Amino acid sequence: MANIDVFVPSTLEEAVAFLAHHGDRAIPIAGGTDVMIDTRIGRISPEWLVDLRALSGLSGIEYDANGFRIGALTRIRSIELDQGLRQRSTALVEAARVLGSVQVRTMATIGGNLCHATPSAEMPPALLVHHGIAEIAGPDGIRSIPLGQLFVGPGHTSLEPGEILVRVTCKAANPSSASSAGSCYLRQTVRWAMDLAGVGVAASIEVDEAKVVSGAKLALSAVAPVPLEVDVVSDMLVGKELTPQLTKEVGRVAAEACSPISDVRGTAEYRRQVVAALVPRALYIAWLRATQNWPVGKLAPINGVLSEEE
Amino acid sequence: MLVELKVNGFPYRREVAPDTTLLTYLREVLELTGTKWGCLTGDCGACTVLVDGEPVVSCLQLACQVSGHEVTTVEGLDTAGELNDLQAHFVSNGASQCGFCTPGMLMSAEALLRNNPDPSEAEVREALSGNLCRCTGYNKIVDAVLETAKARAMAVSAVPDLSGSSSSVGS
Ligand code: FES
Ligand code: FES
Repeated sequence: MANIDVFVPSTLEEAVAFLAHHGDRAIPIAGGTDVMIDTRIGRISPEWLVDLRALSGLSGIEYDANGFRIGALTRIRSIELDQGLRQRSTALVEAARVLGSVQVRTMATIGGNLCHATPSAEMPPALLVHHGIAEIAGPDGIRSIPLGQLFVGPGHTSLEPGEILVRVTCKAANPSSASSAGSCYLRQTVRWAMDLAGVGVAASIEVDEAKVVSGAKLALSAVAPVPLEVDVVSDMLVGKELTPQLTKEVGRVAAEACSPISDVRGTAEYRRQVVAALVPRALYIAWLRATQNWPVGKLAPINGVLSEEE
Repeated sequence: MLVELKVNGFPYRREVAPDTTLLTYLREVLELTGTKWGCLTGDCGACTVLVDGEPVVSCLQLACQVSGHEVTTVEGLDTAGELNDLQAHFVSNGASQCGFCTPGMLMSAEALLRNNPDPSEAEVREALSGNLCRCTGYNKIVDAVLETAKARAMAVSAVPDLSGSSSSVGS
């Protein structure tokens, strides 16, 4: 790195003003696990790093009756270990535990994972199946957008100069109510640790008292230029009972909906087949959780292959 | 930029370039070279140190971002030149060959044992999954960590239980 200066704003307004004024020449840094590599290999060459870590109020996980809110500076490790989140969004915890290594998760923030906009990032699909809303601070104040609209392409977000992602708000059933929702995140990788997803799949399912599906969401990573929501899943599943045949059919449709590339982690054709295999497993585990047929707080095997007793 | 760190219990104040990493601060400014310089991309874990007791890869950590915090490096494990129990179990298990990964392995393992004194083998492997070793094949390292956990548990249970005798501090 060649002589990058560091600016430490003391308020969010100061950070926004500095970033707006310096444009491309200033890059926000939080955990640093992406920014430090990008500057070192020359992918970006800012004059300023704007250290957001000390800003107050942007870190932490809160719940209410409708769901949860996560501050952008919250560490991935905190998400992984949060017991309340484990009951409300198992998908998010399952996505957090496979990101990088313990060291990387201890440093990396959820805001950084989202704003780096890597197509294979773990956090986006898990948040998308919980109806994630991104709260963004900018020169004109705060605006909120559906999280999916944050992603424009590999490494590109819809953030304007001076804008900072401050929080993501999600919907989730309150575990103390007669909870009838469940979610799950599975992924395929060559190595179990320190690898990016070859394919990532997040699913959420809601059921009514008769165990009929009343809501379903599905989102994929690493199989399109941006995290991909498969909206048709709701038409295919709502009003029906979940059957193996039906989940396989959703898997087939999802495999057609995506547009993967071929790279070191697999060919496009292989990735489609992995989508077709992982989607039914993720839907099934989310359904087991929604119907209380899954031990509370227990995480699924990373690739969703269940043993006999499960 | 002034960066103040407490490293292995000792306070340091050094003026450094703003983009100085914690790894460079430790190795080149403080000349604590136990922490290793490996990939510089967060992949190998050779540069692992503890910040406020949590493991981080110091090659991706700006020193100024942790100013005012406590850092523990491999140099902080031994007492007056005497290896700590984890280090001793690495030696007795042959868990170190070329030794380049060892400081990082020790710090990741130490962080695990402080948070989880009775880890399963799977938990040890998970805790060390961000530390690459090209020599040992990992099994001996995992054995060393599990043995240390067992030895620490025995040492704790060997201390006579005095609770309830006089005070109720901490209850
Ligand atoms: S040198 Fe830091 S992880 Fe390899
Ligand atoms: S002992 Fe040589 S790399 Fe681990």
